Amino acid sequence: MEMVKDVLLGLWESSGFNLMTWQEGVMILVSFVLLYLAIVKKFEPLLLVPIAFGIMLANLPGAGLMADPAGLMDASQKVAGAHWYDDGVLRLIYAGVKSSIFPCLIFLGIGAMTDFGPLLANPVSLLLGAAAQLGVYVAFVLAILFDFTPKEAASIAIIGGADGPTAIFLTGKLAPDLLAPIAVAAYSYMALIPLIQPPIMKLLTTEKERKVEMKQLRKVSKTEKIVFPIVVAALCALIIPSCASLIGMLMLGNLFKECGVVDRLTDTAQNALTNIVTIMLGLTVGATANGGTFLRGQTLLIIALGLTAFASSTAGGVLLGKVLYLITGGRVNPLIGAAGVSAVPMAARVAQTEGRKYNPTNFLLMHAMGPNVAGVIGSAVAAGFLLMVFGK
Amino acid sequence: MTITDALITSVIGICVVMLILAIIAVLIILVSKVIRTIESKAKKSPAKSEAVIGSPAAVPVSDGANNGEVELIDTDEKTAAIIMAIVSQKSEIPLNRLSFKSIRLMDENEKGGDK
Repeated sequence: MEMVKDVLLGLWESSGFNLMTWQEGVMILVSFVLLYLAIVKKFEPLLLVPIAFGIMLANLPGAGLMADPAGLMDASQKVAGAHWYDDGVLRLIYAGVKSSIFPCLIFLGIGAMTDFGPLLANPVSLLLGAAAQLGVYVAFVLAILFDFTPKEAASIAIIGGADGPTAIFLTGKLAPDLLAPIAVAAYSYMALIPLIQPPIMKLLTTEKERKVEMKQLRKVSKTEKIVFPIVVAALCALIIPSCASLIGMLMLGNLFKECGVVDRLTDTAQNALTNIVTIMLGLTVGATANGGTFLRGQTLLIIALGLTAFASSTAGGVLLGKVLYLITGGRVNPLIGAAGVSAVPMAARVAQTEGRKYNPTNFLLMHAMGPNVAGVIGSAVAAGFLLMVFGK
Repeated sequence: MTITDALITSVIGICVVMLILAIIAVLIILVSKVIRTIESKAKKSPAKSEAVIGSPAAVPVSDGANNGEVELIDTDEKTAAIIMAIVSQKSEIPLNRLSFKSIRLMDENEKGGDK
């Protein structure tokens, strides 16, 4: 009888239920909420499902999936004699985030899926994509005001770029401790774009501006589409070398798509590769959210600053749209400026939906796709700038 | 970092992003002009007819000289022109090489069609 009692006691003492701290318990509940939002409410499910599951796995006490006894990434956990293969499996996969391999590979896939045709047909769209990075810099100043370090402020600010891989890329380099809250905030706001953007678009534009019908875009030749990624990759990398990895991979993926002679590579980049990397990226980003570091007042502040960044970026795009409306004598609908916040193609769809509310015959989607894909380039350039300034 | 430093960094940052994207925009315009000039010169010699493909709205309803007569059943000329332009663009076959025999409005209950 005594032996049975000892066995049961030992079982209880080594079980996760006994070892669990309140922070880990809360994080597991948070992961359930995120899974609910992803599966039932369809909030960015492709990323939120692996992120939420990663949060749950990393907070299971005793499992040690993010343990780092070899001290590869966290010297404080180093145990004498431990090898790299003694690290937890998620910690090993996380090396792909830490080394920026995953965000860059995701950019390759995005490039292979993106049609830059609307941007080439209307190059002024690029300015809207640039103006919609305003939130990055507004959030940066605010984060400094709230006593974040410059590296942390830069990582929080990039949420305003509305580009998940870019946010992960920059945060992984500048403030890896904030990776989980920043990634969760960035993807949550992207899912909430249809709720966040319309009130700002309505507030900053008049009904007359929202009704503007834009001229049909010209047809872009195949040669233009092939030359574009080569020129942009070379130019951006020469001006800001720190953005070469993101822009380079984005443009390589796009060249695969447009050149028409590497169909198998295009297919792999668009589908298999992107899907595999998405699983590993989401899972390990989620796994960085351990209760001890996530459950702080700082996380709430990051989420609030992220929202400010998103809103300011939308405002920046719309305001430049208004300027273009005035300059062109009313030929540009300012609503397409809101699509400059990257988040392809959700932001462009919002511009289309809002435009049709005020003019049912209006079709803004293709016009909004220009600033939308310009936003991808703009956010990568903004991240490159911040990395150049604070990455030393 | 002081607020002043943060503000200066932000102003420089947004200016850098604007400048780089403006340079790309100018480059696109220049490269596009060069490419379109070269392409239009190359197109002038073989056949003028292919230029029609780029502007679907300008497609004639029936190009009798090239394709023969198109029989329109319960379909107006504007709709027929749009359908022919879409088929041409999606199939990437110039209109003067496509032959339309008839375009018929299908009944909702009908499945499939011959054209």
